[in-house]
Amino acid sequence: MTSTIYDLGYQRYSGARFGRMHAVKTLFIFSFRGAFGLGRGERSRLIPLLVLVLVFLPAVVQIGVASAAGMINLISYANYLEFTAGLLALFVAAQAPELLVTDKSNGTLALYLSRPIRASDYAWAKLGALAAALLLLTLGPQLMLFVGRVLIQAEPWTAFMAEWTKLFPILAGTLLVSTYFASIALAISSFANKRAFASAGVIAFFLLTPAISAMVRVIATGDLRRYAILLNPVNLVTGFSKWLFDVESARRSTVARVDLPGETYLFVVLATCVIGALVLLARYRKNEV
Amino acid sequence: MPLIAARDLTKHYGDVHALDGLTLDVEPGIIGFVGANGAGKTTFLRILLGLLRPTSGTAAVLGFDVGTQAVEVRKLVGYMPEHDCLPLDVSGTDFVSHMGQMSGLPFSAARERAAEMLRHVGLYEERYRLIGSYSTGMKQRVKLAQALVHDPRLLLLDEPTNGLDPAGRDEMLELVERTGRAFGIALLLTSHLLGEIERVCDSLIAIDAGKLQYAGAVSAFTDRMQRLVLELDDDVPQFAEQLRARGLEVESSALRLHVTLRGDETYDTIRDVAADLGAPLARMEVARHKLEELFR
Repeated sequence: MTSTIYDLGYQRYSGARFGRMHAVKTLFIFSFRGAFGLGRGERSRLIPLLVLVLVFLPAVVQIGVASAAGMINLISYANYLEFTAGLLALFVAAQAPELLVTDKSNGTLALYLSRPIRASDYAWAKLGALAAALLLLTLGPQLMLFVGRVLIQAEPWTAFMAEWTKLFPILAGTLLVSTYFASIALAISSFANKRAFASAGVIAFFLLTPAISAMVRVIATGDLRRYAILLNPVNLVTGFSKWLFDVESARRSTVARVDLPGETYLFVVLATCVIGALVLLARYRKNEV
Repeated sequence: MPLIAARDLTKHYGDVHALDGLTLDVEPGIIGFVGANGAGKTTFLRILLGLLRPTSGTAAVLGFDVGTQAVEVRKLVGYMPEHDCLPLDVSGTDFVSHMGQMSGLPFSAARERAAEMLRHVGLYEERYRLIGSYSTGMKQRVKLAQALVHDPRLLLLDEPTNGLDPAGRDEMLELVERTGRAFGIALLLTSHLLGEIERVCDSLIAIDAGKLQYAGAVSAFTDRMQRLVLELDDDVPQFAEQLRARGLEVESSALRLHVTLRGDETYDTIRDVAADLGAPLARMEVARHKLEELFR
């Protein structure tokens, strides 16, 4: 460095100082923006933008087709998540490591932990941020679909009154599925020290679980054979959505054939969220004194 | 109330005693914290930040117990780690203001102070560039800026000149000194180079193998460290003996002698002895003990 340092004066700060909650909120917002590559270099926006466009595409197409050609149902609320599950997996495989592992590999975690937060606050903020980012990708398109379905009707108000109860399963379903994907991806990423390893781990999870599920279904007999589909994230999300919206599955589909009680799907989704969150917290709590 | 109060602080990692019964009170000022690599410096800083639990003993920073009130401590302390700690794909200004918010500042105040701090450390237009494009020296400045952004009452700087070239070291030390002197922020800086500490610090704490070796004024410590290196053209065994006989501390190995310097009389004594013996004194220079040697 040859530049000289010109000092224009250091100012003392006497304004407001907030505590832990403020710091957690700050980290949440910073990480949420980071999940979409905002405030980062150009390249980090590629995958998030791609996924963002693709998850909204079915809703746009559906509204366009329906407004041009009348009430044709290409996609409904109940199968929207099933349609986009692969994209959500791609998103978390790319962005969970970005949120969690880069702080470790850059050493930035040490700076965060020297701030007025606890290590578990850090983990919660990251989980919340990724789940919120996913919520934008799951709830967003379904809300768009909802608004579109209401507005293309001749009498939007009547259409709204007929449709509005769907908002509850839409909200509950997208919230839980977002948390499901976020907690799995962050729990896996918490074991990696390099981004590439974390991404590979998350991708492996979403590729291997369907394979294992299929294998078990070939080998096993009886109830185990039926319950094995819960291992497959896409089947799980499908079964969960169908149950949530109280829709019959397509007759020849896997979910229809195993005919599990709907609550089973809810239970597995919830249990995965809890286990993922606990693993993530445990990994960070060891930094606490 | 002392800035830092440690009582019988001990940290063991298995058989390794990183800190071994360290008791000390640190008063405000610019304090140097020296010790050889692995002497326990970083361990001590991490305990002060509440990031590491001591095996036994207690410590308080600004009156807050580091075990139970770590969050309070961290609001008032700025920390610059020795290792790399910056994200590469965020701009300097975004990162420093983010860290300001993390330390409790509201958004607008954090942005304002981030700009001021980056200017204070000598970054201007570059602050809008991604940190990944910065030189080592610039990164080191950003590390300092993020430690200062929330206007801490105490700055903990872990080897702030690490990895810098000589010119970069000078600039960093100058910056550190100005931060401490002109703005009155208490500052604890670690180094394994005594020369750096001597340049900027008022007082000094030296530890070795986790034990306190010295705490006090820098000058009193450095005086103990001066020595003369003498080189002879021929081996004159009596030379060292004569010097010792006149009360000097001498280590000798064949043609080379190390004499502890105790003021100007030492030079006179050496001159007299050399003249008496006709010793072929070829070279004489003032050198400094290495820290490691001091603690033997």
